[in-house]
Amino acid sequence: MLILTAPNGVEFNEMRAWLWMLRNWLRLHLDSSHSIRFYVTSLEQPKGFSCLMIEVKELTKRYAGRTAVDAISFEVGKGEVVGFLGPNGAGKSTTIRMLTCFLSASDGTAKIGGYDIYEDSIKVRRHLGYMPENVPLYPDMRVSEYLTFRAKVKGMRHREAKRAVSESMDICSLDEVDRKMIGTLSKGYKQRVGLADALVNKPDLLILDEPTNGLDPNQIRQARELIKRLGERHTILISTHILSEVEMTCGRVIIIDRGKIKASDTPQNLIHRLRKPGEVLLEMKGDASEAEKRLAVLDGVNEVKYLDKRSDWTSFSIATDPNIDVREDVAALMQSENWKIRELASRTASLEDAFIDLVEDKPRIGKGEERNGE
Amino acid sequence: MALFTFLNGWLFASMVNAMQMRVSSRSLIYNFFDSGWFWMGFFILFPLITMRLFAEEKKMGTIEGLLTAPVRTTEVLFGKYFAALLGFLVIVTPMYLFFFLFQAITGEKAAFQGGALWGAGLGIVLVGIFNVALGTLASALTANQLIAAMLTYVFAMLHYFLGFLHNFGVVPGSAWTGGMTYFSTTEHMHALSGGLIDSGPIIYYVSFSALLLAIAYHVLESRKWRV
Repeated sequence: MLILTAPNGVEFNEMRAWLWMLRNWLRLHLDSSHSIRFYVTSLEQPKGFSCLMIEVKELTKRYAGRTAVDAISFEVGKGEVVGFLGPNGAGKSTTIRMLTCFLSASDGTAKIGGYDIYEDSIKVRRHLGYMPENVPLYPDMRVSEYLTFRAKVKGMRHREAKRAVSESMDICSLDEVDRKMIGTLSKGYKQRVGLADALVNKPDLLILDEPTNGLDPNQIRQARELIKRLGERHTILISTHILSEVEMTCGRVIIIDRGKIKASDTPQNLIHRLRKPGEVLLEMKGDASEAEKRLAVLDGVNEVKYLDKRSDWTSFSIATDPNIDVREDVAALMQSENWKIRELASRTASLEDAFIDLVEDKPRIGKGEERNGE
Repeated sequence: MALFTFLNGWLFASMVNAMQMRVSSRSLIYNFFDSGWFWMGFFILFPLITMRLFAEEKKMGTIEGLLTAPVRTTEVLFGKYFAALLGFLVIVTPMYLFFFLFQAITGEKAAFQGGALWGAGLGIVLVGIFNVALGTLASALTANQLIAAMLTYVFAMLHYFLGFLHNFGVVPGSAWTGGMTYFSTTEHMHALSGGLIDSGPIIYYVSFSALLLAIAYHVLESRKWRV
């Protein structure tokens, strides 16, 4: 791994551009047996970024009496895997539909790969692989038939389409079901067919609207692996409300709530910024009431809460100041008194905490059901 | 399709029977296409062919994938329209074989003339062009196939019956009669199955179909800005 630190501004942009050229060169000149993983990620998005995949400015969508998307602006650089996060009805799908030219914006502009979504809508769509929410497919078509149809709709000629279909079926491991009717497939397979469809025209940008919605845990894991692999080649925007997914697959998170962007950062930074008070769980054997008193006076400890007692073992929850780890002190104390420890764990803040902190703090106005296109 | 061919075959046979019993001053073609039975069956075709075009895509959400592919809405619209029109033509073509079959079996030349046959054929195609466009529009309007089918049927019939209005209590040769005759499918078919080809109906059906398709286009595009 190579970590380069650059000051903000032009130098960074140049560095990044050079790195990308290097990456593309390597990819061209080495055959596929070499697996190069090349991520260029920035923790902060510098202004005036030159290699942007998505550029959204003041994008707004108003429905009668309700603003679904309220003047949002964000950017996604080439090669990034970005999670588009928000509660149901926050405006994720509406934003995505505007980006894919399915809906028109009431105001504002957006560019995808440098093309304006109004003026070059066809070019935008050519550079785009989109998997809509709930993965709509034609149930009475066979998998390979459907993918060939989609490849042709996306402007490929017969032979080219054939090759592209077999490639994308390969990527999504669909070979065993290629002659099956889509209607008879399981949800996980349908999802993969949708993904293969999005991939078939080899798009620069993949937009996936809730790709793991309704899958079982096993399938979610498979889907996540697949998305991770795709992230090496494509820029991806994933909309979801499943947080663990974002934490594992995305380099950056954009959190949207009630049509407004609440945060845009890496998952780690979001958690870090949260400065949530720490919590340590302790399960010990010994004089419980004495331990409670001694623990409470440790440095950085705010509160010691008795949880429960199972045979000889007592559990405590210790609340601490933010970003202070008291585990060492606790362990030292236990050792000096010859009390036994069975568990000593620090519960760190998760993205979920960050999400809830950003989104759920105010009461929701109205139900804000997400409006479907039709 | 088989059902349609069977029904029309039956109708054709009974028409021949009727003409054997009673001398008719008109040709077989004229009588066949003048029959109300023919039109009843005929108009059922359009809803059946067109109801799925957009309604099903809307209901299943596949329309989103279709319209976010790099194709123009007009391309999607024309693709579906002409596919439906082709389907219609495939279904009605066997009906045409009746006349040739009849000729081959009976050796009867006088039953109809070539001009009348082609004229009637043109009439059927024109009515097809118009009603498939109507069905396409109806299907674009709703996400429910049943509603699309009903809209198509009702408006196709309404348009057909509009053609009878000129018969009601008005002096022949008045502006009303003249104007209404212009809309009348039956009158067009009378002329065409008599072998008389007039450019009026052709322009009427084609331009009206274009208008219906233009409306369908704007209906499809309206999803973008509708609040």
